[in-house]
Amino acid sequence: MTRNKTFIVAKNEFLKRVKTRWFVFTTLLGPIVMVAFFTIIGFVSASAIEGGDQSILVLDETGRLGSSLSDPDGKLSFDVTDLPEDSLRARVLRGEVNGYLFLPSAVISGDQSAKYYSTEGGGVSSFNFDLRSIIRNTVRIARLEDQDVAPEVFEIINAGVGLDSIKLSDEGEEQGSSAGYAIVGGIMGFLIYLTMLIYGSVVMQGVIQEKTNRVVEIIISSVRPFELLMGKVLGIGAMGLVQMSFWSILIAGGTIFSGTIVSFFVDSASLNLPDTASQAEVLDAVGFNVPDLGPEVFIFFVIYFLLGYLLFATLFAGIGSAVEQQQDAQSLMIPVMMPIIVSIIFLQAVIEAPNSTLSLALSLIPFTSPIPMVVRIAMIDVPWWQIGLSLSLLAGTFVGAVWVSSRIYRVGILSYGKKPSLKEIIKWMRYA
Amino acid sequence: MHTLKVQGVTKRYDKVLAVNDVSFEAQPGRILGLLGPNGAGKTTTIRMITYITIPDTGQILFGDQRVSPKSQEIMGYLPEERGLYKKMKVGEQLMYFAELKGMPKRDAKEKIRYWLDRMGALDWVSKETNELSKGMQQKIQFVATILHDPKLLILDEPFGGLDPINADLLQDVILELKDAGRTIVFASHRMEQVEQLCDDICLVSRGEIVVNGPLNDIKHQFGKNTVMIDFEGSDDFLDTLTEDGSVRVNTRSSRHAEIRLLDGTPSKKVLKAALDTVSDITRFELVEPPMREIFVTAVTEQQGRQALEADHSAAQGGQK
Repeated sequence: MTRNKTFIVAKNEFLKRVKTRWFVFTTLLGPIVMVAFFTIIGFVSASAIEGGDQSILVLDETGRLGSSLSDPDGKLSFDVTDLPEDSLRARVLRGEVNGYLFLPSAVISGDQSAKYYSTEGGGVSSFNFDLRSIIRNTVRIARLEDQDVAPEVFEIINAGVGLDSIKLSDEGEEQGSSAGYAIVGGIMGFLIYLTMLIYGSVVMQGVIQEKTNRVVEIIISSVRPFELLMGKVLGIGAMGLVQMSFWSILIAGGTIFSGTIVSFFVDSASLNLPDTASQAEVLDAVGFNVPDLGPEVFIFFVIYFLLGYLLFATLFAGIGSAVEQQQDAQSLMIPVMMPIIVSIIFLQAVIEAPNSTLSLALSLIPFTSPIPMVVRIAMIDVPWWQIGLSLSLLAGTFVGAVWVSSRIYRVGILSYGKKPSLKEIIKWMRYA
Repeated sequence: MHTLKVQGVTKRYDKVLAVNDVSFEAQPGRILGLLGPNGAGKTTTIRMITYITIPDTGQILFGDQRVSPKSQEIMGYLPEERGLYKKMKVGEQLMYFAELKGMPKRDAKEKIRYWLDRMGALDWVSKETNELSKGMQQKIQFVATILHDPKLLILDEPFGGLDPINADLLQDVILELKDAGRTIVFASHRMEQVEQLCDDICLVSRGEIVVNGPLNDIKHQFGKNTVMIDFEGSDDFLDTLTEDGSVRVNTRSSRHAEIRLLDGTPSKKVLKAALDTVSDITRFELVEPPMREIFVTAVTEQQGRQALEADHSAAQGGQK
């Protein structure tokens, strides 16, 4: 009987929401917005990496360096000029060239530095980094030439140095950088963050609406408040689960077809690859390895989303029952929101060092665990005991939250008028 | 039979004693008027009957069983502050309420059609609630209350906001349900309606029962102590009578007065005094007090008594 009524409430909450345009909209549009979001980030960072093709005029006082400046990546082109500085400045300001480089004669001896003039100033972009290393190489070679160093030495110095990152795990080692894992983990963590907040506030809004509509009194003359609370949380959770499953299939698909996706944004020619390059080749060229994620990553993603949602939605429902307006809930939400915010603040730290004590602690503490643990599971092999402990702590906290919230809820939904203080709410819990 | 028995029920919120040792019964086939000033504990009592809250002490029985989630299914409650889901369609909404009362879908569908038809609201089935007028919403709410054919009906101000035609429609249904042997609790501040509908009265004030019993008996207890007089001419006699403390004027207008006889004043005295000033008397009748009078008298008496007691105990406390 009890389960039955909870089910009726949950079914109603689920259907009522799934049938709305809002639901269809966000389910379909969610990933598009996400992709757009990450595309923009990717695009910005890609263009920072590529820097576009830049043409630079060189005013060469040394008379020998200018002609030997060259970019091995071919993105920067150098033209030696003997125009006066005034007209160079004017050309830069008119935007005809990106900038001009002044190489004083004392640059070889190291007494003066090279100067680059552009409208953008300096900054920390990869362009500055590239330019500096090109000039440094050229100057070094000139210095070595002055000392009559044997050509073999040049070759030794110019020989490239590579760095491959290899991820160690129990199953052996995996080639390539862990960037792919970090990105997928980050996306998953961020999704859990967003959805916990969004679905949690949907639950809260529902509770507040039912209360201010005064429907709630009719409903609880048919259903126990506890059943109503759980029905609401579960029904909206089911809606969330549908959305999340849809999205996680998309993420899974995205990782499989990531080569194709990357090749949309990165011109294969600039990677010195033929147009017919395969996905793997493209990804390899940009140093991005398709993360080889097992199904357990997605299963834990869904489990952590569910438990995290259940915990926070239950608490949000309790808070919602105590107030009559969304604004009044704000101050009461702070203590509940803090752990979520903490876990998102430390997201970067967890991604950088998934095995650190901080990461372990965050992924065990019940209120913060969902986000960091999902990130860790996506990135590394988390020991089973850690997952087990973290899940049982989270589930136990959820049960506690249900108890607390349902005691607040049954009093809160019938209390109108003045917004209660935290002290009064705690008093409610002691009512018979 | 399904009698509602409230037995020695007490409910306390924090430091406020909302309901104090209240006992009364509502019989099947009768309408019990649950009356009382605002904040008297009516809503708290109703919420305990509907098992929304639970008494601290005492018990509530319906059909000799303690109220429970099971008894909720055979109750219909129309709260004073009412509401519906704004964005749900009328039909879906009623179906949801019916399902929560444990009705099978097919029965519910049939009943929804029947009652919407009776309320002249069949066209609204697939309209959202926020498209409906307030009166229409009232009727939908009433349908939601009686849809599952409850054995116990609790109606809090069911006529509020209804025009006379719709009020009559609702009243017909209520009386019909009463004749079918349903137990009905009717809470209202509208004394004319109470007088018209109720068989029994339970008047609460400050969490305690002040008057309880069949309406007619209560009226008899108060006796024929009220004079209704219609007259032409000067009404100076009313002031004379009030001044010497033999009557209190309940209502007075240019040609009518309702006069309460105090301390056994004979009605003859009023008639004599009236004849001195008025030019004509078109009606002179000795009647039982109207419900409104009983309400006011009982409540002010109780509150006066309580105030006295409080003074008394305060004085005693001062002496010690």
